[in-house]
Amino acid sequence: MKCCLSVALLCAFLAVGCAHSQRTSSAVATQPDISPKTVLFAADSGQQAMDAQVKPKTQSVNDDENIDYDEDTFKEERVEIADPIEPFNRAMYLFNDKLYFWALKPVAQGYKVVVPEPARISVKNLFFNLGFPARFLSCLLQADFRGAANEFGRFGINTIWGIGGLLDPSSSKELDLQKQETDLGQTLGVYGVGHGFYIIWPIFGPSSPRDSVNIAGDYFLYPVWYIYPWYASTAVSTFEMVNSTSLRIGDYESLKEAAIDPYVAMRDAYIQYRLKKVKVRKARSLIFKAEETSAPAADAALPNK
Amino acid sequence: MKKQFAALTILILFVFSIPVYAGAPMSTVEANVKKVLDVLRDSKLKGPSAKEIKKEKLRVIYKGMFDEVEFSRRTMARNWTKFSPAQQTEFIVLFEQVLEKSYVDKILSYTDQKIEFYKENILSESQAEIQTKIVTSSNEIPMFYRVILKEGKWRVYDVVVENVSLVQNYRTQFNDILANKTPEQLLEILRKKVKEH
Repeated sequence: MKCCLSVALLCAFLAVGCAHSQRTSSAVATQPDISPKTVLFAADSGQQAMDAQVKPKTQSVNDDENIDYDEDTFKEERVEIADPIEPFNRAMYLFNDKLYFWALKPVAQGYKVVVPEPARISVKNLFFNLGFPARFLSCLLQADFRGAANEFGRFGINTIWGIGGLLDPSSSKELDLQKQETDLGQTLGVYGVGHGFYIIWPIFGPSSPRDSVNIAGDYFLYPVWYIYPWYASTAVSTFEMVNSTSLRIGDYESLKEAAIDPYVAMRDAYIQYRLKKVKVRKARSLIFKAEETSAPAADAALPNK
Repeated sequence: MKKQFAALTILILFVFSIPVYAGAPMSTVEANVKKVLDVLRDSKLKGPSAKEIKKEKLRVIYKGMFDEVEFSRRTMARNWTKFSPAQQTEFIVLFEQVLEKSYVDKILSYTDQKIEFYKENILSESQAEIQTKIVTSSNEIPMFYRVILKEGKWRVYDVVVENVSLVQNYRTQFNDILANKTPEQLLEILRKKVKEH
């Protein structure tokens, strides 16, 4: 009898209140809240705490593409770019495509056979470390001082303890200084400069007048271009290109394979990618953050990891 | 008596805990991804002959994981109404085949990558975004699953890789094609694409 009673009590107890874990509270979580998990996550490092501050505001608003498409109110998220010089771009696309399949890929494949992966990753780290001036300047111009400090620390630590940047001790769990993958094009984007139109440069690939400042900026800020004579610096940057290609053979192929029209697919992917990057940078900026949160997207404040 | 009571308690705990667990978008996606990884890492399935068996097994998983109708409709957006019901049905089938053909080999080539589930973004009562990243030896690829709740099930309607939404990417392509072609011609392009291999 006592037993039955306790079973009944247990039933009642279970039926009344299920203790939801953070993950399971989805159905009721229409109100924005910072979940315990996020706070924990944010507490890991200072810069993510900043992201978390932005998050509750951004969550409450649906992005346009989530509005029901059956209704008349349907709005498409416009992330398109003008393409007035499409014939030129298509020709350049073809040129780069052939360059990849006929030259870059075979060379990278041969290189991949000879050089083991850890060595290739080290080479990639080395070149990434050299890109410090452009990233540091971009962070400063974006008023992302935390990012700038991060980059500065990374450069110092990786240059000294990482054998000139071959190793990446800054990214280890203990230090956790995150890479700030930003550039001058994004900086202009943070300042509100639009793309203009789509342009594909030979060798450099998809770009726009705005993002072309990266190419120009690198000429002054990327140490490799200071190597004298000119053919030496060209050789070094060709090597860099082969090395980085060897680490991602197959990515371009699968993108092309999956596309109905590879040219359009590539253009869209580029624009989406850059747009999101600028949004993330804006959310990190001390000056532009407020502006961004007043017109947020669903996930503008992604941890830059 | 005590034993019975314990068994009953455990049974009740099970009965109550299962529906709560299944309601969470993240755990649904996580479970599905785990199933995929189990197939990929199955040591019994090796060699070229096992590839077809693996594909077949993966098909079963992703049929439950993805909402193919939602995927197609969102990709088509406004253009969806230009299609007749028969064309819509054919489009869903063809689009699914195109996606399968393009990605199945890529998925099968995955071996030692680690997948981390780190965040669940609630977009609305019936929509969520599960943020994961694929960690390889040389880099990390962010991969987000957008899921929608329909008939008590969370199913994927969009995949965002490196901040690029697949649905949006295809939408741009289809928009471009439909700007000067009919739905029938678009279906023809897809039919060719499926046969191509």
